[in-house]
Amino acid sequence: MPNNEKRKLFNFFPKKLSADLEKKDKRNILIFKYTTSLILFVVAGALLVWMQDESPIEAVKGIWKGSFGSLTAFGNTLRWAAPSILTGAAAIVAFKAGVNNLGIEGQVAIGGFVAGILGVFFEFPPVVHILFILICATLSGLLWSVIPAILRLFFKVDEFITTMMMNYVANYLTQYLVQQVLAGGLDNWGYVNMASTPTINGSAYLPDFIPDTTATLAVPVAFLISFAIAFLYRYTVEGYELKQVGENLKFAKAGGVKVVQQYLIIFLLSGAIAGLCGGIEVLGTYHKFNNGFAANMGWEGISIARIAELNPVGLIFVGFIWGVLKAGSMQMERMVGVNRLTVQIVEYMFVLFISIDYEGIYMRHKDRKNKKAYLESHKEASNNA
Amino acid sequence: MGNSEYILEMRNIRKTFGELVANDNVNLKVRKGTVHSIIGENGAGKSTLMNILTDIHKADSGDILLNGEKVHFKNSLDAARRGIGMIYQEFMLYRDLSVFDNIILGFEKKKWGFIIDRKACRKEIERICSEYSFNIPLDAIVKDLSVAMLQQVEIVKVLYRGADIIIMDEPTSVLTPQGIQGLFRAIRNLVGMGKTIIFISHKLKEVLEISDYITIMNHGRVVAEVLPNEVDEAKLASLMVGRDVILQANKVEPKIGDVLLSVKGLTVKDKDEIVRVKNVDFEIHSGEILGIAGVAGSGQQWIVEALFGLRRPEHGSQIIFDGKDITYVSPREHRLDGIGYVPQDRMGSGVNAKSSLWENSIMGYHIAHGFKNKYLVDTKQANEFTDEIVEQFDVRRQANKDKVAALSGGNIQKMVVGREFLQRNKLLIIEDPTRGIDVGAIEFIWQKIIDLAQEGVAVLLISHELNEVMQLSDTIKVIYNGQLYDGGRHGELTEEEIGLIMLGGNADAK
Repeated sequence: MPNNEKRKLFNFFPKKLSADLEKKDKRNILIFKYTTSLILFVVAGALLVWMQDESPIEAVKGIWKGSFGSLTAFGNTLRWAAPSILTGAAAIVAFKAGVNNLGIEGQVAIGGFVAGILGVFFEFPPVVHILFILICATLSGLLWSVIPAILRLFFKVDEFITTMMMNYVANYLTQYLVQQVLAGGLDNWGYVNMASTPTINGSAYLPDFIPDTTATLAVPVAFLISFAIAFLYRYTVEGYELKQVGENLKFAKAGGVKVVQQYLIIFLLSGAIAGLCGGIEVLGTYHKFNNGFAANMGWEGISIARIAELNPVGLIFVGFIWGVLKAGSMQMERMVGVNRLTVQIVEYMFVLFISIDYEGIYMRHKDRKNKKAYLESHKEASNNA
Repeated sequence: MGNSEYILEMRNIRKTFGELVANDNVNLKVRKGTVHSIIGENGAGKSTLMNILTDIHKADSGDILLNGEKVHFKNSLDAARRGIGMIYQEFMLYRDLSVFDNIILGFEKKKWGFIIDRKACRKEIERICSEYSFNIPLDAIVKDLSVAMLQQVEIVKVLYRGADIIIMDEPTSVLTPQGIQGLFRAIRNLVGMGKTIIFISHKLKEVLEISDYITIMNHGRVVAEVLPNEVDEAKLASLMVGRDVILQANKVEPKIGDVLLSVKGLTVKDKDEIVRVKNVDFEIHSGEILGIAGVAGSGQQWIVEALFGLRRPEHGSQIIFDGKDITYVSPREHRLDGIGYVPQDRMGSGVNAKSSLWENSIMGYHIAHGFKNKYLVDTKQANEFTDEIVEQFDVRRQANKDKVAALSGGNIQKMVVGREFLQRNKLLIIEDPTRGIDVGAIEFIWQKIIDLAQEGVAVLLISHELNEVMQLSDTIKVIYNGQLYDGGRHGELTEEEIGLIMLGGNADAK
């Protein structure tokens, strides 16, 4: 928890060798890290497929076909990459600034719900309607994150707990509103559909990014947001202050940063991106709000952020790979008899592999090598003498 | 061969970090039952040597011998089992656990291999306490105890772990004069019972008082080994730094100007509504150094926090700076008004250890001075300012983007002081500016403070080192139990007289 280091006399972070890393080391560690995880990832995946008596190569072919095999397939990949990147972006904004926003899922749900409602009950010209809905979805995600932010700032309640609990509140609240208040409405076949809001008006459909595929304008939006976050943290005073507030509140306060304001901004920004993601998903893909559609989206975002090491540009790549796996796994299931959940298992194993302390392993290895080299050179010196 | 003359020998220890040679063939021999001090400037390699001894770092080469036998530690725990105990400057205790739990943690005695035998543990701790005459409340929660008490807990902890050699890293920097005497009694007691102490300190007077042997390190090498009766403070200091050091501030006639800061009726309560500062009045003129001396915990922290806007003073308090009421304004406005602050809590308010050196260097500067573009961080300007601090204050670092956590405590302190001193502030609030830094750098920072005052900067100096306050201040105030007492002008009262006020001996002569 972020507070611990602020307490004087009680510093627990151990002296880490990383202090002495050289530039070359950093690059090597990065290569070492991603190649090792990737190899482990492939091995684990192959093993899981093989255990289901199927050929891993066929499975990979299935994934390839489903993600790059045709324009439609590629569109599917992008379609899945967009929400992955957006939730990942929401996680990165928060985690980079030291805020543990585990409530992305709930914020996505609220954003999606608001989008679903506004899409049904309003009708504006197309562009205006979309903008109006997305702005409202963003704001609702933002407002949903105000509650944990206030609890944290003024009542010192850890956001770990509040954000997580707010997920349940969001999920069940939207479910309640859909089932009990809206009572479903009629779906395409004229039945009462209790699990979702009615289909939104055509004016609110998000236009395609690649025509005749499932890739909508969500894709460029996701990319833009990633770059905006990268820019924020790298070049702006605001980003600098956010980072300092997140890493050491006391330090930032003594330095004259408006900590209350900045802390709120982190929370709200993260919530806003999550809300936007919910809105985009509803307008772009489902065209209605389904109960529980946000389930796992928050956790996936956090996993993706973790793999990307909180780097907004890395996020785009990781999100894209996520999209490949998602789009591909469905095709794989159709082509070979491998359950698509297999891919999910491997995805999360990848998160585990990437979390290994590669830096420590590398440095220990290097330490040993240095020692050996030193001893050898001394031996030579004494031999010469 | 348990009959070696030395309980501990370190032979030809070499350790490099990249290009930096932290230990260059260091030899150290420690006799059993002695207090062996190791002194040296920041970055001289003392900490590295001790980290190798406790196996936090692995040496590139060299041997460690315990009682004449070569040993190879597997890890830090192994080192602890072999009888090497370390007491860190920042205590390694869990705040929310009891003293008892903290002591046994990791070294629990067990029944049937998996149940903690609390009774046996307690018996053992009680035996240690009575044998070495420590009196600690075993069931108290750590966060409720005073620093001096925590130090005793740390000592009992390493004794419980079976330490024969106890390393103390800057043990006195957090203690009051009385606490230091208590610690020294404990050390003498421990040595009398056959334990060996390795004592690391910057305070040469204390080193001379307590040591049997002194090893002096400089730039990763041992430069001298002396006996305390062979040398004096000045000689030690010059050996350490490699040149003559004057342990005397070069005080010049102050150029005192108009009143810059005036504090009236300042009353501050802590979060439990306990009054920590009572009705304090004082004024600082530009060009004046006002020093506040006092035993730690007398209310210094609350005065400073209130002055810098980190804590809201009670109703009726008034702080006027440069004709402007700043009683209730935020630290941000203090920065904008030209008030600098060197906090006592270095790793908390002073720096963000997780960030880089340059990010730490521009904190506050980015508000008071800003960049060419209001919204963007100008990397070039940030690096220039960082370089200025690094050069002028001799911060030893490899690159500006190094993490602050990688710097030694003394270097971090120099960075913090440099950051505040180089911002052309009108008023500087300085708490313990020389905590944990070596004599050479102390001399330098003292000179800087005097120079700034000469340029017309008002300085409020709060220090737990009475000597520092007496050397630098034009006006001396003494804080005792939240109230401020007059300590005279520079040189007016003797150390003993001020010491008496610090302990409340002059409470009626306000």
